[in-house]
Amino acid sequence: MKYCKSCHVHYDTTLEHCLLCNGELEQEGEQVSVYKFSDIMIKSHSKFFYRLFLFANIISAIVSMYLDLRNGLPLTWSLVVSITNLYAIVMFIILAIPTLWTSKLTKSIIVTAMAIVLLGLAIRDYSWAIDYVFPIAVGTNIFLISLLIIVNKKKWYDYFAGLIIITIIGFVPGLFNLLHLTTERLPSFICFSYALVTFLGIVFLPSKSSREEFKRRFHV
Amino acid sequence: MKKKKYWYKIDNAGKIFPAVSKDDRSNVFRLSFYLDEVVDPLILEEAVNKVLPRFETFAVQLKNGLFWNYFAANNHHFKVSPESAQLCKYFKPMNNRGYLFKVYYHDNKISLETFHAITDGTGALHFLKSIAYYYFKLRGFKIDHEGKILSEKPYSKKESEDNFVSNYDKDKRRNLQEEKAYHIEGERFSHHWFLFLKAKVNTKSLIELVKNKYHTTITIYITALLAYSIYKESNDFTGNKKPLKIFVPVNLRPYFDSTTLRNFSLYIKGTYDSMRTDWTFENMLELTKEQFKDQLDKDKLQSRVSSLVGFEKNAFLRIMPLFIKTIAFKIGYNILGESISSCSISNLGIVDLPSGFKDKILDVDFVNAAYGLSMTLISLDDYSNIIFSTPIKELAIINHVISSLVNEGLDITLDTNFKEDYDEIL
Repeated sequence: MKYCKSCHVHYDTTLEHCLLCNGELEQEGEQVSVYKFSDIMIKSHSKFFYRLFLFANIISAIVSMYLDLRNGLPLTWSLVVSITNLYAIVMFIILAIPTLWTSKLTKSIIVTAMAIVLLGLAIRDYSWAIDYVFPIAVGTNIFLISLLIIVNKKKWYDYFAGLIIITIIGFVPGLFNLLHLTTERLPSFICFSYALVTFLGIVFLPSKSSREEFKRRFHV
Repeated sequence: MKKKKYWYKIDNAGKIFPAVSKDDRSNVFRLSFYLDEVVDPLILEEAVNKVLPRFETFAVQLKNGLFWNYFAANNHHFKVSPESAQLCKYFKPMNNRGYLFKVYYHDNKISLETFHAITDGTGALHFLKSIAYYYFKLRGFKIDHEGKILSEKPYSKKESEDNFVSNYDKDKRRNLQEEKAYHIEGERFSHHWFLFLKAKVNTKSLIELVKNKYHTTITIYITALLAYSIYKESNDFTGNKKPLKIFVPVNLRPYFDSTTLRNFSLYIKGTYDSMRTDWTFENMLELTKEQFKDQLDKDKLQSRVSSLVGFEKNAFLRIMPLFIKTIAFKIGYNILGESISSCSISNLGIVDLPSGFKDKILDVDFVNAAYGLSMTLISLDDYSNIIFSTPIKELAIINHVISSLVNEGLDITLDTNFKEDYDEIL
């Protein structure tokens, strides 16, 4: 133990000087105090590279758009660059935030499909994206999560929210068909039908535990 | 029996924490026991995993619903870890097998750091006592629990009850508007580090002082002393338009006959006018006594509980999707959350342990690392620990509190997590 003559307090620490008055501490008796906490280990936890990545992508988008506009060109290739930049940022965030790998996978597939549709719109040739890429990506995602639930029954509730969200997104290609936005209707129809069957399965074939999961996920 | 499929709605106090917690606002608090031996991490881990199934409200993971977060059963094996140098460190549950608490070991110390969304100090203390009991049991000691260790009592459903909701009375709601409070400002330590300073005093001497000289309770005395120290030591307090507001959490269990392990506390506050220039310790103490007497009224507490629950029962808020609520909570908390309080004092009272623990648990810590300056009080055997924690480097207010206690004739022993060479890195 140590003692501060000015503050009249004892110290049970390894400090040599009083924290309050900075005066030198006197040793009292034989008892030696120990430091009772973990030592600081400063890790370099810099967000510099994350910020640099963000900065580089934003600059890339701005410069490409500026070049298009300066040359009096319609925004085409600069939009492709900008969408790619945005896609890179979103994907980075999805992968960096710790969450279930299935959630990362679902989000990645949806974001990738949407980025491809946006690229199609940017180059004024979106039919391949809407006709094939989007319905096939979403349909595959529904299939993968359904498969995961069947294979890994113990953890089915971890994938449940993802399945509901992707199933609802699966109706969008059907909407594209209805609005005559598609030229090739079959992939969208298959995706919509598969989403509908999955959705009806979720609603009308629930076990007691899936009803309970519904209750949890949708409680207000 | 070990249950595997339970779930809970998050209670009123816990609803906002998942949305607003981050590195410099962890909403985590710490309870530590110092044992008479070096902690064996393997036995500690086994003890935690033995105790966990009994504490359903701790064996949970945070899940996202469409409208609200909720707690679902967590059956993963819990891992203990070496203590972090940073007190009450923010952690992502995803990196902790989904659990919303951490159990650390360091030499002879076991620390439980708990995210405030699952429980308050009372609930966490029950959990830590049970962990320590099992730890010694696994080490081969036979200690009579004397009915003081919750894990040795039969489980009651009342332990997981949301008593905010069960004590909600629609007719008792009232408007809970809070004016902004004075803030203690100053240069902060780097790396989200908090200073811990523990003042150990003899409980009997402290009680004699507050009862015989000031005719009050320890909490009221310490609140008034802190208020007076801020008044005396802060350059920008007098004349500041915002009043000093010291928040003091109150354990609501005795008022509402509750045994819940979930959050069930509410703050009362001491409010002191910053425009007044003639404050003395005595008139601050009298004001604190009056304010606490006024606020510690069961009807008034229930009225505030009802108002808080009434807010979450608002139909518009309920049907708002979770991701929008999260953004709204973040914005609302940044604008209002920290601005209504200057600092806080939390008194957990006496740690009631079985007599067999007498020489096995030597000391306790209770730390709440919040904005500005936090004080906590906790007592074990003959001693009380008055603990200060702050992210701010300025120690004048703490110095004034300690000097005042010394001047009152109390014998004080200090302990801290600060080291002399930390000035270079913090």
